[in-house]
Formats: sequence, C-alpha cells, structure tokens
Amino acid sequence: MFLHNLKYEFLNNIRQKDVIFWVMCFPIILGTFFYIGFGKLYEKEEIFSEIHIAVTFVKEDDIFSSVIGKMEAADESPFEFRYADTDEAEEMLEKGDVSGIITVDDEISLTVMSSGMEQSVIKSFLDQYKSQKQIISDISANDPSKYTEAINALYAEIDAIENNSLTDGNMNYYDTYFMNLITMAALFGMVTGVFSATNNQGNLSAIGARKCLSPNNRFITMTSSLTAAFITQLCSVIIATTFVLFVLKIDMGGNIPMIYLSGAIGAFAGISIGFFIGSAGRMSVAVKDAIATSISMFCCFLSGLMVGNMKPLIEEKCPVINRINPAALISDLFYCLTIYDNYARYLEKAVTLLIISAIFITGGFLLTRRKTYENL
Amino acid sequence: MSDTIVKIENLVKRYKELTALDHLNIEIREGEVFGLLGPNGSGKTTAINCLLSLLNYDKGNIEVFGKKMTPTSYDIKQQIGVIMQNVAVLDELTVWENINFFCGLYIKEKKKRKQYVQEAVEFTGLEDFVKFYPKKLSGGLLRRLNIACGIAHKPKLIILDEPTVAVDPQSRNRILEGIQELNHNGATIIYTSHYMEEVEQICTRIAIIDKGKNIAIGTKDELKKMIHNTETITIEIVELDSGTLRKIKSLEHVYNAVFNEDHLTIKCSGGVHNLIDVLAILKEDGVSFGRVYSELPTLNDVFLEITGKEMRDTEGQ
Ligand SMILES: Nc1ncnc2c1ncn2[C@@H]1O[C@H](COP(=O)(O)OP(=O)(O)OP(=O)(O)O)[C@@H](O)[C@H]1O
Ligand SMILES: [Mg+2]
Repeated sequence: MFLHNLKYEFLNNIRQKDVIFWVMCFPIILGTFFYIGFGKLYEKEEIFSEIHIAVTFVKEDDIFSSVIGKMEAADESPFEFRYADTDEAEEMLEKGDVSGIITVDDEISLTVMSSGMEQSVIKSFLDQYKSQKQIISDISANDPSKYTEAINALYAEIDAIENNSLTDGNMNYYDTYFMNLITMAALFGMVTGVFSATNNQGNLSAIGARKCLSPNNRFITMTSSLTAAFITQLCSVIIATTFVLFVLKIDMGGNIPMIYLSGAIGAFAGISIGFFIGSAGRMSVAVKDAIATSISMFCCFLSGLMVGNMKPLIEEKCPVINRINPAALISDLFYCLTIYDNYARYLEKAVTLLIISAIFITGGFLLTRRKTYENL
Repeated sequence: MSDTIVKIENLVKRYKELTALDHLNIEIREGEVFGLLGPNGSGKTTAINCLLSLLNYDKGNIEVFGKKMTPTSYDIKQQIGVIMQNVAVLDELTVWENINFFCGLYIKEKKKRKQYVQEAVEFTGLEDFVKFYPKKLSGGLLRRLNIACGIAHKPKLIILDEPTVAVDPQSRNRILEGIQELNHNGATIIYTSHYMEEVEQICTRIAIIDKGKNIAIGTKDELKKMIHNTETITIEIVELDSGTLRKIKSLEHVYNAVFNEDHLTIKCSGGVHNLIDVLAILKEDGVSFGRVYSELPTLNDVFLEITGKEMRDTEGQ
C-alpha cells in the first residue's frame, strides 16, 4: 500500500504542469537570468581589454601623454586610447564606440554618456592620476631617471583599484544568489507538501474522502504521500543544483555531495512546513496553496533572494529571524560549505532545520489524527 | 428473508443548529437496489457519509454486515465501494492509472488487480479512453471513470450518491443499466437521487426522506398503496362553471378536484370507472374538453401526499 500510493502520488505530482513550472523550470529560468545579468562581472578579463576611451588634447600635457603611452605599451592594459578631436570623440561616444572622453585642457576632465562599471573604472583611473600627478611632475623635474618608475607605480596602483572593485568578496556575493535560488527550489516544496496533506483529508478533497473510505491506515497513507512529496521536491532540487553547478558552472566549493545533501535537507524542511499548512484549519486547498506559496516567497525574501543585502540587514536589526527562517538556514548551509568552510556551523544549521521539520510534521499528524469529521 | 446488510437506527446528525438527520431508521437487505429518495438538502449525502463513518454523528447506531461501523473497520470498508457526488480522480493520472490507483487501495495482488481494472474499464465502456487524462474526458465519461474507480475492487456493497447529476440522457441510461448489472452480479446497491423516475426505474426498495426524516419506506407498490390517491385525472377544459365542478367533487371516489389555467385535475381514491363518471358529468352539462389523461400514482404523489409539497423541483436538469 505504502509503495503503491507513493508511486501514483509521485507520478501525479511530477506531471502537474504548474508544479513542473514553479518547482523545476522557474529556478532554472531565474538562474539563467542571474547568470546573464552577472555575466559581465564574471568576465573580468574582457572588461579590462575592452574599455575604449577617446582622448582629446586641447592643450599639450607631457605627463599625461607619457602616462597613457606607458599604459598602452603595457601587456595587460585595461584601456584602449583613441586620440581624436572634440567632434570625432563625441561622435564615437554617441555611437558607443568608446565609454568615455578624456579631455586634456588646463584640467583633465571626463565626459560619459551613462554610468556603469566601465565608466567608474575610467573615473577611478583619472582620480588616481590627479592625486599622483604632482608627485610625478616633481619627480620628473628633480630626478628624471626615476620617471619611469613613478609612472609604473601609478599604473600598478590603478590596476590594484580596478581589481579590487571587481573581485575580492564580490564574486562570492553574486554566487550567493545562486545558493538562494537552490534554497527557493527547496522551499517551494511547501506547495507540494500542502497537497500531500489535503489529498488525504476527507473534509478537504474528494480524493481525500475516497482514501479515507479505503481499508488503509491513515498514518501509513499520509506517510506515503509525504514521502512522495519529498521525492518530488528532491528531484526539483537536484535538477536546480545540477544546473547551477554543472551548466552555469558556479563555483560552490569542492564538496559536491554535501551541496546536494544540503538541498535535500532544505527540500525536507519545505515539505514539512507545507504538510503542516495543509493539515491545519479548514481553508480550501486553493487558499492553502496560496498561503504556502506566499510564505515560501516571504522566507526567501527575508533571506535575500530578491534583495541581496537583506540577510545582513536582518542580522543587524533582528538576528533571531535569521536563526529560524528556513530559507536563511538553508542558504546558510551553502555558505558554510562555500564561504566559511565551517562544518561545526553547518551541523548546527542542519540540525535546526531538521528540528523545525520534525515539529511541523508532528504538528501536521496531530492535527489530522481525528478519524471522522464534524463537517465535510 | 435475506440478510440485513446495513442497519441504521435512530441516526441524528446536527450541523450546529441545523438538524440534518432526525432519527433516521433504515434497514437494507442483501441483493437489493435500495433507493434513497429525497429533495435537495433532505440529508441523503449526510446519511451516506455517516454510514461510511466519514462524518461523526450525534446519536444512533450504524451496523454494516452485522458489525458496528467505525473508521477503522477495515474489513467492512474492504467490501464497500463508494461513488461520491463529486468526481474524485487524480488529474494527472490517466484513466487506467486512476482506476488502478484506487483499486490498489483495496487489492494488493498485482495480477488480480490488473484483471479487475480491465473488467472495470470494460464495464464502464472506457476501453477507448484508457490513456486519456481526466481533463480530456466529457462530463459523462468522467462520471463513468468516477464509477469505475469506485467499483473496480468488486465490492459487495456499492453506494452511489447521485451519480447521474449533470449527465446527458444517453450516459444516464448507460449508468442505470450498469447499476442493475452490478446488482445482478451480486452486489447490494444503495442509490441516492432526487430524480423519481430513476429511482422508480431501478430500485427494488425505496426510502423517501425529507428534512432528515424517513417518511416512508417500502417497494414502489407498497409506497403507492400507502397513499389515498389511486388515480389522477387531468382534463383540458377552457371554461368550467362552479356547478359542474361541485358535481364532480361529489362523485363517490373523488376526494379532490381543482380547476385552474385550463386544466381540471381530479384526484381519486379507489373505484374503477372514475374517468367514465367524470366524462358523463361533462357531457351532461355540455362542457367541451380537449385532451384527457389518467395517471396512476407516482412517487411524487406519495411525496406530495405525505409532506404536502412537491418534490419535482429540479426536474430535467
Ligand atoms: N458541512 C455542512 N455544514 C452545515 N450544514 C450542512 C453541511 N453539509 C450539509 N449541510 C446541510 O444539511 C442538510 C442536508 O444536506 P445533504 O447534503 O445531506 O443533502 P442531500 O439530500 O444530499 O442534498 P442534494 O440532493 O443537494 O445532494 C442541508 O440542509 C445542508 O444545507
Ligand atoms: Mg447530496
């Protein structure tokens, strides 16, 4: 009976069009969007070789000329300079051939059309140049032999700034979006969990009534449905994780089995909460479905799926939410593996999730323990 | 006398203030097609759900196959097949899978189950649709699938709650014939409906319920004998004066005569020449008339006479 019910409920679950969409496709689609959105940031080499800048000399400036000359000569120059007069430069900027125009007059100024990563790199380069310019001109006046060295130093400094703004923690910051995405795939299990409960209740669905009339122990039927829901969700988490790890090739640390295990724990938590929602109260299945969807989205919101810095913000204002929000806990599992590399903390989060699941499942069973109904 | 299969004694069920079942008493014997007839809201579904231990009840005693029915009476449940008023199938399973799924809740053995499912498919005439999903089935086919899911495990007692609601006449006849066939194959049937014609057509014994009370129980003929009325005569007449009407009313076997909207309706009790007597009076008074009908009592007359109201409320829906 257990296996029979399990088989058919699982079949029924995975064929559900909206489940397939929300549970399986949505994370993949969203993941692809994230990937495209963050794509440029990942490809840092490309940015560096592709920033085109137009340079217009209204007035000669030996120091600036030699700085950019030096930069052009360098192997890994982030910039490509194009010398032009004012009109040409503006035309290039309008066409998008260059990201900015540096005009060399008494002052050195920057003209851009829009703001973005490339523009801010150019700006930081100019700021750096301006702050170092005096030193360089002093050196060139007093000790011309050190001139090259000074320009090299300036160049190195600029290089450091640029690298800094693009890597160092920031890469991880974007990776967290993908971890949150797997978290979401796991927590959508709430919806599947709702059905595993309502499909067994005579007062909530016709299917439930039919099952109640069959000569089978309720506890066994419900456990079987719960297992079917868990397996359904596990499939979806495995698909989402595999997609993130092997198709998008997001680096989540070396311990791949542990990453899958984390997803499984998350899916279990999602199912449990959904099972409880499905068991509690007499609202219709559609209402319960909506409640489950909203709660899972809200949990994900609090853990930073939509707004990246939500979680640190909550950590500051009301840390207890991060201790019990299942979405925060699930994504913490991933952070423990990838960023912190901390198994003690991993264990703590995993145990918390399992305790939460146990509470909800027990609650669900207690609420549906009655054998006959007052109302149908 | 054959064995009692279902015994409902003094069943009382209240939904808050509303008393849905008021000391209901019903006994169903083996091999019957038992009709539970009553207007909408009379408590038919409630009675069935109490019988199945799906609903709890305030008072009363329910025995099925000679044993007290409880939610964990699995041996009793094994023998019962239920077709509920609402279609209960899984949307993402095919016709075959659905029947197999529900049958599997009763029959563990795979080979036997396969055969049972096949028989249920043939019985309901769904051979051509086994690979279809329920969404692709017409209303009538869906009802048939619902029935197949309820009877595939070959239960001894089959309970059908208004299985023909919203079904076209052709499918309806097929369903009714099927029910009779199940009965011939040995199953006892409980059939609820508010369509009197259906109940008259297939049921061997009938309980008429109204407001949760069992107001009459017996075979069709027994029920009809219970009432005063033996014949209803209807005559189309354009104009009728009160003298003639008085004369008709004073006939020996006529106990009621009403004239309205071009129709004279006469209720008779006993007597064999009532129609001839009435027509003689009309002829004598020179009243011209159109069509004439004489009808034997229907279950509606039974209901009407006992409750004082018509049951024909949702006829022909
Ligand atoms: N869950 C409920 N809560 C409150 N009242 C109910 C509930 N279910 C049924 N009733 C009331 O109990 C009475 C009997 O209802 P029931 O459904 O048993 O009638 P029925 O004979 O099956 O009618 P129908 O022919 O429409 O199916 C009705 O008056 C109905 O309004
Ligand atoms: Mg009903």
